[in-house]
Amino acid sequence: MSSQEIALLAFPALLVLIFLRIPIGLAMLVTGMGGIYVLNGSFAMITGQMKHLTWGTFSSYSLSIIPLFLLMGQFASLGGMSQALFKAAETWMGHHRGGVAMAAVGACAGFGAICGSSLATAATMGQVALPELKRYGYSGELATGTLAAGGTLGILIPPSVILVIYAILTEQNIAKLFVAAFIPGILAAIGYIIAIAIYVRIKPQSAGSRARAPYCERFRSLVAVWPVLVVFLLVVGGIYGGVFTPTEAAAVGAFGTGLVALINGGLTPMSLKRAILATASSTAMIFLIVLGAGIFNTFLALSQLPQTAAALVSDGGFNPWLVMFAVLVLYLVLGCVMDSLSMILLTVPIFFPIMVGLDFGLSPEEFALWFGIIVLIVVEVGLITPPVGMNLFVINSMSKETPMSATYRGVLPFVLTDLVRVAILTAFPAISLLAVRLLY
Amino acid sequence: MTTEHADGWQPRRIDRIDAGMRRLAAAIAILGGMGLVLVILATVASVTGRALIPLGLRPIRGDFELIELAAGFAVFSFLPWCQINRQHASVELLTARLGDAVNRWIDLVCDILMFLVAALIAVQHGRGMLDKYGYGETTFVLQYPIWWAYAAGLAGAAVFLVVSLHCVMRSIDAIATGLSPTTGSAHH
Repeated sequence: MSSQEIALLAFPALLVLIFLRIPIGLAMLVTGMGGIYVLNGSFAMITGQMKHLTWGTFSSYSLSIIPLFLLMGQFASLGGMSQALFKAAETWMGHHRGGVAMAAVGACAGFGAICGSSLATAATMGQVALPELKRYGYSGELATGTLAAGGTLGILIPPSVILVIYAILTEQNIAKLFVAAFIPGILAAIGYIIAIAIYVRIKPQSAGSRARAPYCERFRSLVAVWPVLVVFLLVVGGIYGGVFTPTEAAAVGAFGTGLVALINGGLTPMSLKRAILATASSTAMIFLIVLGAGIFNTFLALSQLPQTAAALVSDGGFNPWLVMFAVLVLYLVLGCVMDSLSMILLTVPIFFPIMVGLDFGLSPEEFALWFGIIVLIVVEVGLITPPVGMNLFVINSMSKETPMSATYRGVLPFVLTDLVRVAILTAFPAISLLAVRLLY
Repeated sequence: MTTEHADGWQPRRIDRIDAGMRRLAAAIAILGGMGLVLVILATVASVTGRALIPLGLRPIRGDFELIELAAGFAVFSFLPWCQINRQHASVELLTARLGDAVNRWIDLVCDILMFLVAALIAVQHGRGMLDKYGYGETTFVLQYPIWWAYAAGLAGAAVFLVVSLHCVMRSIDAIATGLSPTTGSAHH
């Protein structure tokens, strides 16, 4: 059996382990180690690598941005920023038909600007918005669907943990990726709002009405939102302007949201402890996956599968757009069963060398930015596609009276707008590259 | 968990150990988190210093080496907490239909694999530390011995190993008694 065939067999083996509920990072570690053993006939390479790989991964300067962004999101919710955002969006948009749900999307977009994780955004905004949606007579189906989808704005709108990982894997500039993600992120929010507008026209009974808020109340609600704006400008502006490295920006952002929480009285020794423990769980989960993917990708590189595949595709003379289409479909299918981070870590080292060799009429850097944004969106769709969309579970567990099947139905319109957006952004790379071309 | 109940019911030994392990895992995770908080403060001070060079302030020397040190320690120290709460990302699509008994065996397999990986990480990381000690390697700017940083990580790796072993015991107990552990959120 050739080493490439062994590598091809590793994928079904990995999937079997994952479906047996072995933690994904652990499954990648075990499969990768097993594969290296089969290829080399000994564990010497693994034991040698593990002497410094673990510390090297955990203490990586660029990866240290992840716990900092997670802590920043925790502090932001302790500081009441999620409530402030929702309150502001609600007083401005709540009186429209379906307006409270639209406000939830708007607030998710705002929270996404200070939080780099989808699950954290979904969980935080779910706590704030679900009770309000219920109070104004919104159906559980629409409410949970809206918040599950809105949560994905957490990684679409910069800062974004997934984009950081993509930038490291493909050696791209994080600042440019953040800038590029901005317009597609706004388009996502607009798409979700349109989906709600259509939804409540088809099913008018699923949304109640809310009185129009007077303008003085509207402007007052905006005042409470200014810390969000300041932190966002400080973080993303600071990275873009080259004032800070992305890691420094994350630290400054965490300081900013922490300071707001401290002033608002949300940051107490008890709540700091809870915030740290929540950060600890997510961080450990992410880094185990990163470590596992590191071993698995070492194995793949050893088997030369990625190089062989890239050579096959570029010599095959396939239509680049057809290859792109196939890759996107594969992502959407994988997304139904895998989490976004594992997908990025497993697939980008294989797909990126293949795709970058194809001619889409873009420079290599522009291609990398565009492909990153498209991949970000398709893996994010995986967070809300049944049956294994993490956001669906997170939100559904917060709304006890809503059955899972209702959440599945409720999220479908949002998945549809996601697919439309993927098609548009794929067909017109200029949309994703516009901001970068203007600013750089 | 450790309080005695009026009807004479006493917590079982494994549950008492579990409570202790959770306290240990939480304690080291919080220590790691405090490290992150210190780094946040140091970074803000450093960035401010850099911005205000004209006013005679200065950035903190070797600030990124401090970030790496604290982040490395933090991530190591977060592993036990994630493990004892079974919060590693996993796919429950198929196993949700398999019944409690089968799932308890799957828990055991997961915990044994995680224990083996924890052992590999701890032992090899420890040997890596001895390498760094032997070479006398120091960091570039601050010149502190790199093995110090490795030793900080080793503390987390050791607790991870102990907690992983406890998780194996907990799973064996769950199979033997058919009880779910009284603590931890096995399926969420």
